[in-house]
Amino acid sequence: MSQNRDFDIGRRALLGAGVTLAAGLGLSSLARAATPSGAASDDSAVPSLAGKRIAISTVGTSIYFDSRAFAAQVEEVKRLGGTPITLDAGRNDKAMVTQLQNLVTQKPDAVIHTLGTLSIIDPWFKRIAAAGIPLFTIEVPSQYAINTISADNWSTGLILAKKLVADLRGKGRVLVFNGFYGVPSCGIRYDQLKLVTKFYPQIEFIEPELRDAIPNTVQDARSQVAALLNKYPKGEIDAIWAAWDLPQLGASQALIDAGRTEIKTYGVDGTPEVLDLLKRPDTPVAAVVSQQPALIGRLAVQNVARYLAGEHDLPKETFVETLLTTANNVDDVRRIRGDA
Amino acid sequence: MSTDLSLVGAPTLPAANRWQLKLLRHGASLAFLTILLVFAATAPNFLSPTNLSNVVAQSAILGILAFGLTLVIIGGGSNVVSGGLDLSLAANLGLSAAVYATLNNAGASAASSIALTLACGLAIGALNGLVVVGLRLPPLLATLASMNLIAGLELVLTENTVLPTDSPLLDLLSFGQWLGQPALAWVFLVVALLLTLLTQFSRYGLRLYAVGEYPEAATAAGLPVASYQFSSYLLSGLCGSLASFCSAAWFSGSTTGSGEMLLSVVAIAFLGSVFSQRLRPSITGTLLATLLVGFLVNGFQLLNISSFWVNGVQGVLILLVVASSSLLRGSV
Repeated sequence: MSQNRDFDIGRRALLGAGVTLAAGLGLSSLARAATPSGAASDDSAVPSLAGKRIAISTVGTSIYFDSRAFAAQVEEVKRLGGTPITLDAGRNDKAMVTQLQNLVTQKPDAVIHTLGTLSIIDPWFKRIAAAGIPLFTIEVPSQYAINTISADNWSTGLILAKKLVADLRGKGRVLVFNGFYGVPSCGIRYDQLKLVTKFYPQIEFIEPELRDAIPNTVQDARSQVAALLNKYPKGEIDAIWAAWDLPQLGASQALIDAGRTEIKTYGVDGTPEVLDLLKRPDTPVAAVVSQQPALIGRLAVQNVARYLAGEHDLPKETFVETLLTTANNVDDVRRIRGDA
Repeated sequence: MSTDLSLVGAPTLPAANRWQLKLLRHGASLAFLTILLVFAATAPNFLSPTNLSNVVAQSAILGILAFGLTLVIIGGGSNVVSGGLDLSLAANLGLSAAVYATLNNAGASAASSIALTLACGLAIGALNGLVVVGLRLPPLLATLASMNLIAGLELVLTENTVLPTDSPLLDLLSFGQWLGQPALAWVFLVVALLLTLLTQFSRYGLRLYAVGEYPEAATAAGLPVASYQFSSYLLSGLCGSLASFCSAAWFSGSTTGSGEMLLSVVAIAFLGSVFSQRLRPSITGTLLATLLVGFLVNGFQLLNISSFWVNGVQGVLILLVVASSSLLRGSV
């Protein structure tokens, strides 16, 4: 966690909130998210954005992560007195690239871009940076960004992989969704899964891997898993892993439909529907690593404000901790994220 | 058609009616001009040369695809159900771009990668031509089926992943400039010019229009109607693969979700005909329609109108233009 200055306030707030979660989670991010009002005192120290136009560009706002992150950025820019320029590409690469190119003409005071396939957008990031527009990114670690803020995808992938291995007791057959390896956050989580399981030779991955799709991710995953359940009778699959939780949601629904909840699912993001499933008594959802998109969005805008106020020594990357969520702590996670 | 004139009360108000007719005939162009003027007056940097040339370059992919559809509509007639239609164009772009990225990444020579990509587009055009002209299937259904087939092939090739690729050709298209204008803008305008020459100023073009608008008369005149219609699908397939080079340059490789462009392509190609006084599909009309949509998206962004509104306003504008054009259809 690079936001060291939050740590003291975070610790106090954490103690006040009396929240206890799995060990190894970042205290500062937990606390900030747990006490938005308490965090406001720290937020008030952020320089003003009065008179600044901040472009908030996102690959889409159709899933929990990006819609929460997007809304939080817009709110934070307004709170700091700036004008947000909102650009939602609707998960259409052509619209996204067009919007990024138009920004070069539009010349906002800074750009914050959320998500996307790096190989597609990096050449356009280069042009934005070359035009002298400060570029900040969320979940896209580009060489042209002044600061990239993201969940700590290495620890996220690691926590999830360790949980999976622990639940399987080091032995079992795993079905994997790997449709978006090119999206950096997904690629990192996938690599962490492979890194951990490499040392557990009795964990076997079912080939071919499944490809999650956009749009209709949930429905598509549901039908893919429903079809495979016929091929693999009871005892032949032990777990399903996905780099995000919409495929996990579809897979879990298929497992519930087929009465195959002995198969456990693992994913990342903490979409509200997946958290709802966690509360079912017969849930196939073993764990989901929840992100804190609203916190990520706020911190991204605050980094922009600091940079524009002359703080040019921002870290290249800001990591925000994620929360391993199981049936035992789902309500705590909701409260921490401000969902409840 | 002239008898319809009386239905709108022309005999009693001839001058007013003429004025109305003129307004309707030039309505689309006037609307375009008004939109440009409004953006020029209100949107910062809208008229900057960089912005204008960016919009032309951004329009290349959709525009070249819409040219392909326009050619098919010219050759098959503009009735949406029974006339010419090619719904496989966006999928064609997706597969062709994937073929190019795969070949290029596999180390194939530039010439063979380009040739095979063009061949891919032509093969798709030939398939569409065979089922529509040869088997006489309705184009709506036939090209819908080929669209699914092609999208499936793309999935098999790419496994629904992005295939990044890089080549001198793509670098030229992405970063090249001539006379200060981006290469993609030149590609778009040159393709538009060539196809305009082909359709408006050549014997082939004249006959293609004849085949599409008056197939019985064309048959009676001894024109090989089927061959002309087949050729329009071939040209359309070629446009799909040409657009795929622009797309591969734009996205630094092949990307998923190209099928989403289909509705825009269809809307632009049909919108294009309202730029013609006689409501005929034409390459210049399609060029203007593509630029209209491009300037709309650009102007909205420069005005900082939330992107949530862009689609809605675009829809209303298209509806207004199409409504006025159908009024015109009833009046001429």
